[in-house]
Amino acid sequence: MTQIGEVALWVALAISIWGMGSAFVGGYTRRGDLVLSAERTIIAVFGLLVSCGAIIASFLRNEYVYQYVAGYSNRELSLFYKTTGLWAGQTGSLVFWALLLALFSAITVVQNRTRNREFMPYVTGTLLTVIAFFLVVIVFASNPFKLLPFAPADGRGLNPQLQNYWMTIHPPTLYLGFTAFTIPFSFAIAALMTGRLDTRWITTTRRWTLLAWFFLTCGIIFGMMWAYVELGWGGYWFWDPVENASLLPWLTGTAFLHSVMIQEKRGMLKAWNLFLIIGTFLLSIFATFLTRSGLIESVHSFAQNLTIAWIFLGFLSAGTLVSAGLLWWRRDRLQPESQIESWISREAAFLGNNLLFVGAMFAVLWGTIFPLISEGFLGQKITVGPPFFNRVNIPIGLMLLALLGIGPIIAWRKASSRNLVRNFTVPVLVCLVIGLSMWVGGVRHPQALLTFALGAFVMATITIEFYKGARARAGIEGEGYAKALVSLVDRNRRRYGGYIVHVGLVLTFMGFAGQAYDAEETVVLQPGESMEISSPFGHTYRLTYQDMSWYTAKNMTKLISSLRVEKDGRPAGLLTAEQRAYKQREEMSSEVGIKHAWNEDLYLILAGVDPLTAIRYQIIVMFMLLSAATVAATTTSSLAQRAVFDPGAHRLRDHPTPT
Amino acid sequence: MKKQRKFLVGGGTVAALVGYLMFTGMKDSMVYYHTPTELIAKTTQDPTYSDVGVKVGGRVVPGSVHFDQRSLDLRFTIVDIENAQTQFPVHYNGPLPDTFQEGRDVVIEGKMAATGTFEASTVLTKCGSRYEAGAEAYES
Repeated sequence: MTQIGEVALWVALAISIWGMGSAFVGGYTRRGDLVLSAERTIIAVFGLLVSCGAIIASFLRNEYVYQYVAGYSNRELSLFYKTTGLWAGQTGSLVFWALLLALFSAITVVQNRTRNREFMPYVTGTLLTVIAFFLVVIVFASNPFKLLPFAPADGRGLNPQLQNYWMTIHPPTLYLGFTAFTIPFSFAIAALMTGRLDTRWITTTRRWTLLAWFFLTCGIIFGMMWAYVELGWGGYWFWDPVENASLLPWLTGTAFLHSVMIQEKRGMLKAWNLFLIIGTFLLSIFATFLTRSGLIESVHSFAQNLTIAWIFLGFLSAGTLVSAGLLWWRRDRLQPESQIESWISREAAFLGNNLLFVGAMFAVLWGTIFPLISEGFLGQKITVGPPFFNRVNIPIGLMLLALLGIGPIIAWRKASSRNLVRNFTVPVLVCLVIGLSMWVGGVRHPQALLTFALGAFVMATITIEFYKGARARAGIEGEGYAKALVSLVDRNRRRYGGYIVHVGLVLTFMGFAGQAYDAEETVVLQPGESMEISSPFGHTYRLTYQDMSWYTAKNMTKLISSLRVEKDGRPAGLLTAEQRAYKQREEMSSEVGIKHAWNEDLYLILAGVDPLTAIRYQIIVMFMLLSAATVAATTTSSLAQRAVFDPGAHRLRDHPTPT
Repeated sequence: MKKQRKFLVGGGTVAALVGYLMFTGMKDSMVYYHTPTELIAKTTQDPTYSDVGVKVGGRVVPGSVHFDQRSLDLRFTIVDIENAQTQFPVHYNGPLPDTFQEGRDVVIEGKMAATGTFEASTVLTKCGSRYEAGAEAYES
C-alpha cells in the first residue's frame, strides 16, 4: 500500500515540470491560460502530502523492507520518534523539504491571485523549478521507497543521540526557515525578469522574509539546545560543518533584513539586495545538502553517493549563473537613486553591518569547505578548527555589536554634530561607566570586557528609544506610560520588534562572552562524599553524591546517579546524570543533568562508573543567557506573526501599482 | 561608478579586514589530517613532524580498548582502515566519548610522542549514523 507514495512522487514531478514550463512560456507570451494552468499545478503539493503520509505509515507499520525505515527505526522505537522518522535522515528530509516548499508556494499563489499579476508567472515558475529539482533528487538519487533485497525482521533503530525532543523539532524548524526564503527569492527573480525593480518585490514579500528569518533563528537555537543537553561536552556551538551550514543563510538573510530598509528609504543598494536574497536562497540549498549528506567528512567517503552531489552542484551552479546573468542584463535599471553622503550616517552604518555579515559568511564558508578544497586541490586534507572561526568571528561580532547600538540612533544622510551629541552622550557614558566598573571589579578578559561594555551601550540606546517613544505617546494621547509602551510597540512593530530582537542578541553575546568565566572541574566521588564549586556570579554549589540506580526501560538500560545540591548553603534539590545503554545499537549515551538559574547553569556529566561505585563527574558552571535570547526571539515572533496573518494589515500596506 | 565609491571603499576595507583575520586564523589553527600510514611515514622522516598537532582517522582495533573508570585513562590501538599493517597505540584522558566502541572509525587529534604512543587531546567518533544511517551496512 505504501508504494503509493512513490507513485505520488512521480506524478508530482510530472505536474511540476509541466507547471514550470507553462509558467515561463505563459509569462513570456502573456498567455493567461498557461499562467493559470501553471498556478493550478501547485496541487502537486497533494502528491507530496501523500508521499509524506506513506513514509510515516511505513514507519508506523514497521515495514523494514524499505531501506529508509530500516535505517532509522526499529520495533522498540516509541511512536513519537517513528512519526518524526520522516525527517530523521537525508532521504525523508528532502521529501519533507519539498512538501514545505510546495505548501508555501500554494499559499503564495492563493495570496496573489489578484495581486502582483505581472510577477506571478515567474514567481510560480521559479517555485516550481525548485520543487521539481527536489523531486528529481528524491526520485533519482535518494528514493525513500527504495527496497532492500530482503525484508529484515527489525530495523537498525534510531541513533540514541537523535532521540531527544530538541532534535525532533530542530530539523523541521530549520527547514521552515530555508524554504520560506525561497518565496522572496522567487519574487526577486520575477522582478529581474519583468524589469520591475522598484521596492515592490521587497515589500510584498516582507512577511515571508521575517517568517523565514524567525524560523531559521529558532532552528539554529534549537540545534544549540540539542547540542547542549545531548552531546555532553558542556557547550552549544562547536563550529561543526553542519552547524556552520545553517549559519550561512542566516548571516546573509540577516544582512538582507537590514539592507532592504535602505532601499525602501533611500533607493540605494538595489543590486546588493538582489544579490543577498539570491545568496541566501543558494546557501539554504547548500546547507540542506551539506547537513544531510556527510559530504564534508571526506570527498572519498562520499564517493558512494556521488549522483546526489552532482545534481546539487549542478543546480547550485545553474542557479548562480542564471541569477548573475539576470543581474547583468538588468544592470541599467539597478542604478541607485541616491548615494551615501557621509560615513557618519545611518546608511553607512547599515552598509557596514551588511558588509560585516557577508564577510563573516565568506569566512565561515571558507573554513567549512576548506578540508574539501585542500583535499581536492592539494591532495592533502587540512582542517581548521574552532580557533579559526573564533579568531575571525569574534572581532566581526564585536563590530556588529557596536553597530547595533549606532545604527538605530544615528541620523540619515549626514549626522550633524548636534545629532551625535544629543543621541550618543548618555549611551557612551553608560558604556564607559559599565566598562570601567567591570574592570575595577576584576573582569580582565579583553573580549568579554568589550562585549559587556558594548552590550551596555546598546541596551542604553534601546532603553532611550523606548523611553522617548513612550513619553511622546503619553504626551500626545494622554495615556499612562505602561499603556503607551504597549501601544507604541503595537503601532510600530517593525521598529520596536527589531529592538526587542536586538536585546535578545545582546544577551546572547553576553552569554557567549561569559564562557570565558566558566568554572569546570572533574571529580571522583564515593557515596556520601561531596565537593564544592563556585560560580562566576559568586555562588557556591555543594554537591553530595547520594546513590546510583539501574532502571530498565523498553529499549534501553539506564544508570542513574543522583546528587544533592546546595546553593550557598541552602538545599536546591536533586540533580541526576545518566548513562544509557541502548539495546539495539549497543551504544552508550550520557544524559547530562542541568540546573538552570536565570544567569547560570550547573551542568553535570556522569563520566564513568567503576566497580567500587565511585563515580566521576565533570561539573561545569556556565554563564548562560541563551534562554533569555530565546524569550526575546519568541516575543518578536508573536509580534511578527500578527503582521503575517492579519489580513487587515495586509491590505493597508499593499502598494498601488505604479505605472 | 563614481556614485558607488563609498560602497566600494567600505567593501574593500571589510574584505581586507576579513582577509587578514582569515589569513592569521588559518596559520594558527590549520591541522593536517592523515591516515595512520601517512603519519608513520611522515614521523619516520621527521620525528618532530607531529609536534604542532595532527588529526588521524582510523579504526579502533577490537580487543585493544582499556578504559580506567577511576583515572579516565583510555588506551587503545588504532589501525589504518585500508592497511591493516599500520597500527599504533593511543592514549587519551577524559570521559569516554558516547559512541566510542571497538571496531568504530575514529578521528583522533594530538601528537605522536617519542615513545611511539599517540597522545590524543580529542577523540571523536565518526558517527556517520548521525546523518546517514549507514545504508551500506545493508547494501554490502
